[in-house]
Amino acid sequence: MDLPLIAALFMLFALTMYVVLDGFDLGVGALLLAQRDEQVRNRMVDAIAPTWDGNETWLIMAGITLLAGFPLAYGILLPAFYIPIVVMLVSLGLRGVSFEFRHNSTSSRRRWDVVFAAGSLAAGLAQGVIVGGLIHGVRVDGNTFAGSPFDTFSPFCILTAVTVVAGYATLGVGWLRLKGEDATRAFARKHQRWIPLAFLGLTVITVLIAASAQPRLIASWRAHRNVFSFCLAAFTVSAVAIVSLAGRDDVDDHVGFALALAMMLSGMMALGLSFFPNIVPFQITLWSAASTSMSLGFVLIGALVATPVVLTYTGFAYWVFHGKTPAEGWY
Amino acid sequence: MSNLDPLILARIQFAFTVSFHIIFPTISIGLALFLAIVEGLQLKTGDPVYRQIYRFWLNIFAMSFAIGVVTGIVMAFEFGLTFSRFSQVAGAVIGPLIAYEVLSSFFLEAGFLGIMLFGEGRVGPKLHFFATCMVALGTVLSASWIMAANSWMQTPDGVAWDHGRLIVTDWHRVIVNPSWPVRLPHMLLAAYLSAAFLVSGVSAWYLLKRRDVGFARRTLSIGMGAACILITLQVFVGDHVGSTMVKYQPAKLTAAEGWWDKTTPSPMPYLWIIVPDQSGQRNLFQMGTPYFGSIWLTKSLTGTMPGLSNIPVSDQPRMLPVFYSFKLMLVIGMTMFTLAVISLWLRWHGRLYSARWFLRILVVMAPSGVVATLGGWYTAEIGRQPWVINGLMRTSEAVSPVPASTLLATLIAFVCAYSVFFLAFLIFTLRLIRRGPEGLPAHALPSGSLKRDLRPEIAGVQPYLAGAK
Repeated sequence: MDLPLIAALFMLFALTMYVVLDGFDLGVGALLLAQRDEQVRNRMVDAIAPTWDGNETWLIMAGITLLAGFPLAYGILLPAFYIPIVVMLVSLGLRGVSFEFRHNSTSSRRRWDVVFAAGSLAAGLAQGVIVGGLIHGVRVDGNTFAGSPFDTFSPFCILTAVTVVAGYATLGVGWLRLKGEDATRAFARKHQRWIPLAFLGLTVITVLIAASAQPRLIASWRAHRNVFSFCLAAFTVSAVAIVSLAGRDDVDDHVGFALALAMMLSGMMALGLSFFPNIVPFQITLWSAASTSMSLGFVLIGALVATPVVLTYTGFAYWVFHGKTPAEGWY
Repeated sequence: MSNLDPLILARIQFAFTVSFHIIFPTISIGLALFLAIVEGLQLKTGDPVYRQIYRFWLNIFAMSFAIGVVTGIVMAFEFGLTFSRFSQVAGAVIGPLIAYEVLSSFFLEAGFLGIMLFGEGRVGPKLHFFATCMVALGTVLSASWIMAANSWMQTPDGVAWDHGRLIVTDWHRVIVNPSWPVRLPHMLLAAYLSAAFLVSGVSAWYLLKRRDVGFARRTLSIGMGAACILITLQVFVGDHVGSTMVKYQPAKLTAAEGWWDKTTPSPMPYLWIIVPDQSGQRNLFQMGTPYFGSIWLTKSLTGTMPGLSNIPVSDQPRMLPVFYSFKLMLVIGMTMFTLAVISLWLRWHGRLYSARWFLRILVVMAPSGVVATLGGWYTAEIGRQPWVINGLMRTSEAVSPVPASTLLATLIAFVCAYSVFFLAFLIFTLRLIRRGPEGLPAHALPSGSLKRDLRPEIAGVQPYLAGAK
């Protein structure tokens, strides 16, 4: 059995779970900046409060799978993206504690909302910078990162950063439309008419620039022509569908979020396949960075047993809080 | 910036982020069990005071849990950020252990935390109790795996070198390494003791202020009752941790006890104050209790032990921080034991809630468990130096290829952000304590069949504190 490949797929699965789940959390967080009404902001935070912790856990799962399964790559990529990772961690931290602190404060709630929104935005931007850096590639000497921590910053990474945030905002408005009533839903409905288009446009520009900046990508896209065409088509159709359905009230409120999920999933599939079979982009393949089968097998047995259970009770937790967020909050 | 040492900065950054982090899991491991016990008692007895206790501590638990989560995510990446060479050498060993922690514990905690915090109006009381128990179980599983990883770094076993990397030959020996079976209960007891003294200290404050007396008496009774059992167990477990160190990490133990001599004098005093001179390999000053060292450490009147100078200088930890962090933990532990004994005596005479001098001491002791836990961790981690994996890899070989200036900048960023977390946590916790528990409800929440638990709206069960924030 090709254990390194299975471990890489499990890591991609965890990362995709993180991107779609924490993606809507971060999107909702960043959208707080566009909402002046404190009552609506309360509803927006209530829409994500019961589940954010589990959503963020998928990031740890992805990171630790990299450590356990591909320690060589972990030891290269983390120093390479040292600055955006620290920015992301500090931002996620500020945002995570704001959930509790805004709840416990009345006079300073506005300030915690700013921290919450800025943290969500900065975390998304930092993750986008990492995506840009991965496309650029990482300088490696032997088993060690050989570049500078500033290598990841380039004009191109600004574009990828904004694109990722636009993707999270697409998920965020979808989620708010799904969970929100009255003013919250109207707010989501309004922004659903343009954010997915912005995400689509930014992605197209990113793809075009990436193709000219990183010749290795074109080779990979040629090799998997059909899959990429499918992803791009699904991505575009979903974006157009969200925007054209956004104004209609006879369409179920779930549809926008489901289509946003489709956009993110096709995007993640394309991105994952672009780097395949490298785990340190364009330098080290996943097979040469892999742990022994003693370690991979141990992790994968655990993952195989635990993941269905985890998905079951995570699904249950979502089910407990299904439906529209109550106007008086969860308490 | 060239005179800054990346190794020192990486160590400071790791030490700062991990020390800050451990404060909050310590509180949440302890409070989670406390909340499960209190909610269980409420379901069993129907006494509304337990609900009051639950609601009050749930809020503080939620804050410490949130800080624990976000500072924990940092730790998942810190291995690679500051010690990437350690990750490359040992990732295949400790990575899977932490992966199991995520799979068995983090998801469990996160899945049921939402129900625990926000689910009262959405699920019935039994299911809510189940969620609390799952969160408490998650904290124990989490501690088990992370203690396995850390204990493996103290007493590595079940691995072999292969092309400059460590590979696992026997997972059972990696997980059940020599120090894990004693260090895990030691840490769990520490966390439970921390919570016991935290809740006792806060209720003692209410009793001193003569407010919320019913709430405070019951909390203090549970807290000090638990403390009596826990500290007794901790005395034995702590002694076992010491014996394991004698066998596997003699350098750490001798540094913690303050002895340099090749062979200590007989009978050996127990040292309390020393002024160590690391380069001279001697103490400039030392003071202790005669005979006590032989009795305690060797279980005989005249026993001796080998001192730190038996270890090559290049393999020695710094004695000063190891000695004093250990003594800090020890003194707090002995104080806890004394207070537990006094509490039994006061309880026997019906004065546990009225002896003001005792309540004042308890207020001061509220954060003592957390401080002692930090002391213990400093002993364990500084005492392991200069090794990152005891005997296998030096900390100096483990550091990331990140420039010192970048490390310094991020260290400052972490210090700033964590100061905000800590200040806000303190301010909000103190404010919650000053505000006190919510008033007693008019009637008890009915409990019923599981069907009703799942669909509370059918049975018309409403949370009677709905809207109370």
